[in-house]
Amino acid sequence: MAALRNAVIVGGNRVPFGRIGGAYRSATNLDLLTAAIDGLAGRFGLAGERIGEVGAGAVLKHSRDFNLTREAVLSSALSATTPAYDVQQACATSLTAAVQLSSRIRVGQLDVAIAGGVDSASDSPIAVNDRLRRKLLRLNAAKTPFDRVKTLASVRPSDLTPEVPQAAERRTGLNMGQHQALTTLQWGITREAQDELAAASHHNLARAWADGFFDDLVTPYLGQSIDQSLRPDTSIEKLAALRPVFGDGVDASMTAGNSTPLSDGAAVVLLADEEWARQRSLPVLARIVDAETAAVDYLLGDEGLLMAPAHATGRLLTRNQLALQDFDLYEIHEAFASTVLCTLAAWESDEYCRDTLGLGGALGSIDRSKLNVNGSSLAAGHPFAATGARILATLAKLLAERGSGSRGLLSVCAAGGQGVVAIVEAV
Amino acid sequence: MVEVLELTAMPTALRLYAKALAPGRRPHVKAGLPEREIRLIGHRSTVGEVSAYDQVCGFVLTDRLPATWLHVLTFPLQLTLMTAPGFPLGLAGLVHVSNSMVQHRPALVGEALDLSVRAENLRPHRRGVLVDLVGEARVAGEPVWQGRSVYLNRQQTLAGAPAGGETSRSRGPLAAGSGKQGGSGFDVEAQSSSLSSTVEPSSTPAGSPTGPDTATLHTAGWWRLPADLGRRYAAVSGDVNPIHLSAVAARALGFPRTIAHGMCTHARVLASLQARLPDAYEVSVDFLKPVLLPSTVRFAAAAQPHGHRAQLTNRTGDKVFLTLSLTG
Repeated sequence: MAALRNAVIVGGNRVPFGRIGGAYRSATNLDLLTAAIDGLAGRFGLAGERIGEVGAGAVLKHSRDFNLTREAVLSSALSATTPAYDVQQACATSLTAAVQLSSRIRVGQLDVAIAGGVDSASDSPIAVNDRLRRKLLRLNAAKTPFDRVKTLASVRPSDLTPEVPQAAERRTGLNMGQHQALTTLQWGITREAQDELAAASHHNLARAWADGFFDDLVTPYLGQSIDQSLRPDTSIEKLAALRPVFGDGVDASMTAGNSTPLSDGAAVVLLADEEWARQRSLPVLARIVDAETAAVDYLLGDEGLLMAPAHATGRLLTRNQLALQDFDLYEIHEAFASTVLCTLAAWESDEYCRDTLGLGGALGSIDRSKLNVNGSSLAAGHPFAATGARILATLAKLLAERGSGSRGLLSVCAAGGQGVVAIVEAV
Repeated sequence: MVEVLELTAMPTALRLYAKALAPGRRPHVKAGLPEREIRLIGHRSTVGEVSAYDQVCGFVLTDRLPATWLHVLTFPLQLTLMTAPGFPLGLAGLVHVSNSMVQHRPALVGEALDLSVRAENLRPHRRGVLVDLVGEARVAGEPVWQGRSVYLNRQQTLAGAPAGGETSRSRGPLAAGSGKQGGSGFDVEAQSSSLSSTVEPSSTPAGSPTGPDTATLHTAGWWRLPADLGRRYAAVSGDVNPIHLSAVAARALGFPRTIAHGMCTHARVLASLQARLPDAYEVSVDFLKPVLLPSTVRFAAAAQPHGHRAQLTNRTGDKVFLTLSLTG
């Protein structure tokens, strides 16, 4: 077998993320993903180019969008001969796409690829309920007018209640926040620690925007040129005034301020063989060194729904013979402030790392000044499938700025008790 | 001396159509066109209305306004001009026979557009009288879009040789290289067109879209145009001409069913080329026959060295509804 090539992150592009019902309330997933791809094509001169493969997806998806990514390619400036496929792994969608495509580039199957994700909470699908759906299918199959009338007459007013998608786990009926509230309690994460992390996310993101960090990572869309959920002037005091929305009783600590807002947005990253990129004088920022996906038993086991990244981290570090402290930067997706804090607490727990992760002992603590240095999902917003690509592009640029060999750990938790963790290194 | 009528708000087409129905005296067509320009300064399109339009016409929502949307913006100004005193042609039975547009640079959602419309080039046609309604959109004085709609009025006649050959060429901002402007006619009886005298000889760089080389077009879609397309397009464009909304009104004007808005079919064709549109381009369309609703039409297209050609036909291809030529 030929030696592995270097698959590098050339750059990224996203639209500023919007609040639900905000700037992108009229835009569909197709519109948003096309805008993100077109911005990338514009930035790196890919108009009319055939890209090896585009892998992207959405979590909230209309049934008509079964081929969403290919449709977005056809609507974009890329050559119509660019193949594409949809991928879906909840909030890890675009990171998973990037890991897969990066591997394809490394083994020489592709020279260049685009990974991405999109989600619109504003334009989410609403399904007819199951009773009505079955009757409509029967109506469609009806052969005679009498059959049709009979089927229509069987429709009851209660059949007309639509099914609205919820961020609820199918098997537990608990939504993401309710699940995380249980984990928060389990790890004893305080309200103050959560609000502190949320405030830091807003302040860090605001500083990065002010510094122009996102100038080559974001393309304005529909008049929106900055993340709509960002509140530069928020403070720990202001956040402390909010009422808890997840959890019960005096221990409830999760508020709208320390949980990610429902968002609309799309993000993509451009991946390429290093040689391919250098021949075209394209930037060469960083590479995905390795990645690990984990899943936990959140049903009958006693593991929290969003704790899978802790498991993935242990295996990934062991495989790469690295310590948790061997990184210059850490990006932990802020599904909730407490998700990040639970993950940190888990890494610091001797007992947990030994008994649950099967490691020799605690992975240890990290230097918090290296965590989410330019803000993350609490401030930017979290269009589920887009988040991985947003973080990957941000991290790649941050590492490239720090110089060759600087290393970052990227963690994204996902619905279904899953999580993806990747090691990224500046080239 | 051109009289400028400056509007303070976008007029509603419904009111203007109602006004057109009111009895009133018109000057004879021989008196020519009034020297008048309708303007609306600083109009901004909202994302919501453009998104609704895009969904009916098949455009992906971008920051760029579709060229056909700019026509939609100038259409109420056209109606204002044509229903103002002194305009010699009535709206009833007015037929949109061709349209050409120049997009100088992308016009953006939320950008303040100065819109204007004037009429020119009143001329005889074998079936009546042709007139050009010329629209323009400027941003800070710089033209970003120009459009020319050629309308046929069948109630009036005008002495002189019917438009054909060079005499049908419209003057004005679109003259250079934009090809067919006052050319072909709309065969309202839906019989084989005998309007060849009005079809210009190949005047677009790549040949006339109605020319013999249409055989090179390949089928790129079968479009099912639903019965309510006229109402859906009316809702997003404001063009509530009853011929598109009500079968009764359509029958009164000689059609068995409602017909699609010409600019709706034009927009759908342009939308299918959206990913390949350059920043600046010219696009001309001839509306050759009305599209009855509902119907299934065949969309055929071909890339050419500097743009695209496309047409909409019936299933068998023997009835051509629309031809489009785009260069840029």
